[in-house]
Amino acid sequence: MSIADSRRGRWIAALLVLLGIVVALELFAGVLGVLVDIVDANYLRAVLRLTVPIAFAALGGIFAEKSGVINIGLEGLLIISAFTSIAVAGLLGGGDATQAELWIGFGSAVLASVLFALLFAVVCIEFKADQIIAGLAVWLIALGLAPFASKVIWGQVNSPPIATLNNWTLRIPTTDVVLFDASPPVFMMLISVPVAWYALNRTAFGRWIEASGENPKALDTVGVDVRKVRYTGVLLSGFFSGLGGAGLALGRVGQFIGGGTTMVNGRGWIGITAYLFGNYNPLGAFGASFLFASLDALQIRLQQLGYNVPSELIGIIPYVTVVVVLAFVGRTRLPSAAGDHYESGEE
Amino acid sequence: MSVAVHLAGITKRFPGVVANDEVDLEVEEGSVHALLGENGAGKTTLMNVLYGLYQPDGGTVHVHGDSREFYTPRDAIDAGVGMIHQHFMLVDTLTTAENIVLGHEPRKWGGLAMDRAQAERDVRELGERYGFDVDPEAKIEDVSVGVQQRVEILKALYGGADVLILDEPTAVLTPQEVEDLFGVFEELAAEDKTIIFITHKLGEAMDAADEITVLRDGRNVGTVDAADTTREELAELMVGREVLLEADKEPAEPGDVGLSVSDLRVTDDRGVEQVSGVNIDVREGEVFGIAGVDGNGQSELVGAITGLRAPESGTVRVDGRDVTDLSRRERIENGMAYVPEDRQKRGLVMDFDLVENGLLGSQHTAPFSDGGRIDWAESREHARGVIEEYDVRPNDPDAEAESLSGGNQQKFVVGREFARDPEVVVASHPTRGVDVGSIEFIHERILDLRRAGKTVLLVSSKLDEVQQLSDRLGVMYEGEVVDVVDPDRVTEEELGLLMAGQIPEDAPSIADAVGGEP
Repeated sequence: MSIADSRRGRWIAALLVLLGIVVALELFAGVLGVLVDIVDANYLRAVLRLTVPIAFAALGGIFAEKSGVINIGLEGLLIISAFTSIAVAGLLGGGDATQAELWIGFGSAVLASVLFALLFAVVCIEFKADQIIAGLAVWLIALGLAPFASKVIWGQVNSPPIATLNNWTLRIPTTDVVLFDASPPVFMMLISVPVAWYALNRTAFGRWIEASGENPKALDTVGVDVRKVRYTGVLLSGFFSGLGGAGLALGRVGQFIGGGTTMVNGRGWIGITAYLFGNYNPLGAFGASFLFASLDALQIRLQQLGYNVPSELIGIIPYVTVVVVLAFVGRTRLPSAAGDHYESGEE
Repeated sequence: MSVAVHLAGITKRFPGVVANDEVDLEVEEGSVHALLGENGAGKTTLMNVLYGLYQPDGGTVHVHGDSREFYTPRDAIDAGVGMIHQHFMLVDTLTTAENIVLGHEPRKWGGLAMDRAQAERDVRELGERYGFDVDPEAKIEDVSVGVQQRVEILKALYGGADVLILDEPTAVLTPQEVEDLFGVFEELAAEDKTIIFITHKLGEAMDAADEITVLRDGRNVGTVDAADTTREELAELMVGREVLLEADKEPAEPGDVGLSVSDLRVTDDRGVEQVSGVNIDVREGEVFGIAGVDGNGQSELVGAITGLRAPESGTVRVDGRDVTDLSRRERIENGMAYVPEDRQKRGLVMDFDLVENGLLGSQHTAPFSDGGRIDWAESREHARGVIEEYDVRPNDPDAEAESLSGGNQQKFVVGREFARDPEVVVASHPTRGVDVGSIEFIHERILDLRRAGKTVLLVSSKLDEVQQLSDRLGVMYEGEVVDVVDPDRVTEEELGLLMAGQIPEDAPSIADAVGGEP
């Protein structure tokens, strides 16, 4: 199958899935008529906000996995950074934290996520732990640690609400015409996606990431340190997940919710399905994240309008999609050496 | 001319083995040097020392007159030594140009971006200079193995190499590509590049090299000028004794039919018919050879006979018993041994040691097993016996199959199968990828089986092999045995025609394929 064919196949699959969803919704609530009312500027804004954690997790996952380290702990990194952002901002300013304090919380969250990713990298690269097990550990540790720390700080698994980051507004210079008005993490995401694409496809570093995940020995024998490349890949997954988790907590919710699956609620996992759907391309991964987020937003909106669509049903759509894509469309090409340890000098 | 590479007294030991024993090697600048030797003679080890992958236990490395110590390949590359391994070090998903400049990418915008246009220009220029035809924009996964090899060579040159080491460069190439590669050697040598290539094929060394160094058991046993040596001299240096290029073979004394195949039809995994009604009777005390270009149904035929592939129709009989529907295990119990063509996939479990590998196929039968538990002491004795008798190196039943060279792996598989005391032996490419000394040894063992009155079916794409060993020779073309000939009387030309599906007019055919007298 040529690449053009498979690309077309990918979109056909996406359309089929969408069609299936619409039909399902129609059966459930006869919503086709109200769809038109729903999709407006506010809806789009909500979708973009919901895309933030998914897309950032996906970007991070791409860098890690392309370098050869499968990071399935993205969900855990989102939890850690969401918690850290609220905890730091809350400790600094309490319920009425200033914007500066929120931004300090934001920065701390990214740092916490990077440190957590570093731990994961050391375990996987230095001590050659199984990447899947180590990734699960990251998630499970975060899932237990964040609510526990919440209880220590606030006496319950949920934090009290604090403020959210003020929107940034993009105006046409010297006029009052607003081009785009959104929360800062949305801006960061819209910048990060093309930057990530550029870094992977147009820089020498991007070639090294690719080589490190495909044939690390080839990279090693030309004198590039595979370990460094892989560390960088994993740390970038921590960095992006940090932006995603902090963006979720400070950009939208303004609170840490630690009950059950926490406020992150599987978005890290959906991030993984998004980059698989996007075949490790940041643009494709963003598109998939946007698609999944729009379903989520649709479901929320329908609830608000009084249509009782089971949210669990909407919730499984990303996973069903990724199974459909992986099984029937093919051509999601996993990096050949992803998951393999590499030791320089071994024959 | 100056000396490009001088290795002096290189010694490299591995646990239990001396891979290189005080090896001296001198290579002139601008020359092509062949490193010739049997499998396991220490050729690759020596070159890995020169390339910095191994540190020698003794001896010195000099490149262009300077004494050097290489701790990593990086050090060797910096000194202008490049190596092209048997398994290419290329990234499939990148383009040829991206692979060639990997690690040394030209940059633009203050290093922020890779200058792809510059990279592609560089690669084109480099290619033109040495007469290579490489499309810089093609992805590695889309180009042939021959082109991939050129990309490897260009990568080394781009990295500044003027000494190029190639490990068995012809193993993966078609005959045409081999010729092209040797042309490339000449171009490179004309540009004062120094080429060292590893091979175990005499002919290649004589065709392509200016000088040939022969390694045997880790020692340099002689460096000769390619222009004034002979195949016999080289072969003798390699194995250390006169090679019997003709196997001694007394006339066959065929007995009853031991293996009978009738009207066999077999399809491949895709459901395409690959064997279309084959009839063969092989008698006891006879070697029946099957020649043909690979892929004309030989694998499927062998699969159906040995029980690894179910035939669509037809029967297989051993000593008159119908075994068509029997499993592989039941066939082994009926006295059928099998030397598979792919020893690493089918013959051995690579991360088992030789004790375990020696047990394969007999793990459920006495004396190795009482049906449930395995007698490891007995198994160890058995493995040791095979190792001794077939001169498998290293002489260690606890060595993992993976750690053996290809030739030694093959000797072990052959030894294990022949040690079953079989009635019928099916040997598929028994000497593929095996060095001269081991080939001769395996041939002798096959003739021993014949002397002992066993039934042998030999499938090989090497004409000299099937011609020498067989008493009758069937030629397969597109799933059929087009003719059965007398190997002593048929000429290479006639065989060539038969293998192309044409029946020459006066072929010394043995019309009655079923049990014909040789």
